[in-house]
Amino acid sequence: MVENSPAPLPERAIYGFALFLGSWFGFILYLIWAYVPETWLFSLGLTYWPQKYWAVALPVYLLVAIGIGYILLFGINMMSTAPLNSTYTITDNYAQKQRQKKFQEEAIPALRDIPISEVNRMFFLPEK
Amino acid sequence: MEERRYRSAGGAPIALRRRQHSASCRELAVRCPRLQLCSLSAVTSAVWLAAYGLFALTENSMVLSAAIFVMLIGLIMYLHFVKIDQESLLVIGSLGIQVTSSYASGKESTTFIEMSQVKDVVINEAIHMQKVIYYLCILLQDPRDPQGISEVVPLFQSSKPRLDCLIEVYRSCQEILDQRKTVPQ
Repeated sequence: MVENSPAPLPERAIYGFALFLGSWFGFILYLIWAYVPETWLFSLGLTYWPQKYWAVALPVYLLVAIGIGYILLFGINMMSTAPLNSTYTITDNYAQKQRQKKFQEEAIPALRDIPISEVNRMFFLPEK
Repeated sequence: MEERRYRSAGGAPIALRRRQHSASCRELAVRCPRLQLCSLSAVTSAVWLAAYGLFALTENSMVLSAAIFVMLIGLIMYLHFVKIDQESLLVIGSLGIQVTSSYASGKESTTFIEMSQVKDVVINEAIHMQKVIYYLCILLQDPRDPQGISEVVPLFQSSKPRLDCLIEVYRSCQEILDQRKTVPQ
């Protein structure tokens, strides 16, 4: 069984270097596509590259998507919070179906979901 | 009858009034702060400044009269539908619980829940708009299934009292609800 540890390994060094070379290659290719004039590219025979419009449009799309993603995540979190009048603030399917284990002397009681009425009585009813 | 000052979850001052009508009947009323003159004048001046700006832009004097109209209609609708003056809870031991909200325009909206449907009145805490608040709620049960909770009715939604006020209301309600167990149905 291979143990999972974050220690450096020869395979990880090779993956890292391949990614390093690949990302530099991709970056240089992107710069060539964005800056080299079309006529020069045609004279080299590269006629079927995408329009240079996309060299500007794709980063803008990406950044706007990241910005909207923050707002969207915030909104989705707020939408999936249970409203104040929902029973999910008090109980859920697991708690409703739980079975009581028999009480044994001298043993730690089994873990269970305590009903909210009991919790309230313990917290709020004793006089100060 | 006694009245005590507390604070709401947002910091506004509220007042809790307790009345004991009989051994098994109690009324608890929470009074919210009135509409403040400074906030009313702030909103009015903001709307009228915006309307004047629009008028300076478009040179159409209908904008000004429309702004006055919108202001008046908006104020009336706010007082009638949104601004709650007092929320009260009337617990009658053998009969049920009545929840009343009185709006600033005088309108009152009432809900009555009979005692066989009431499982318990508890203080629950939940996440509400980036805050965790304590709120009082009535747990309803289906009379045929006394173990399950069928519905949760939150109380004092617009005054949102803090925990000290809620504990007072909770203790008062529990004294009445405890009588249910000793008196056989």
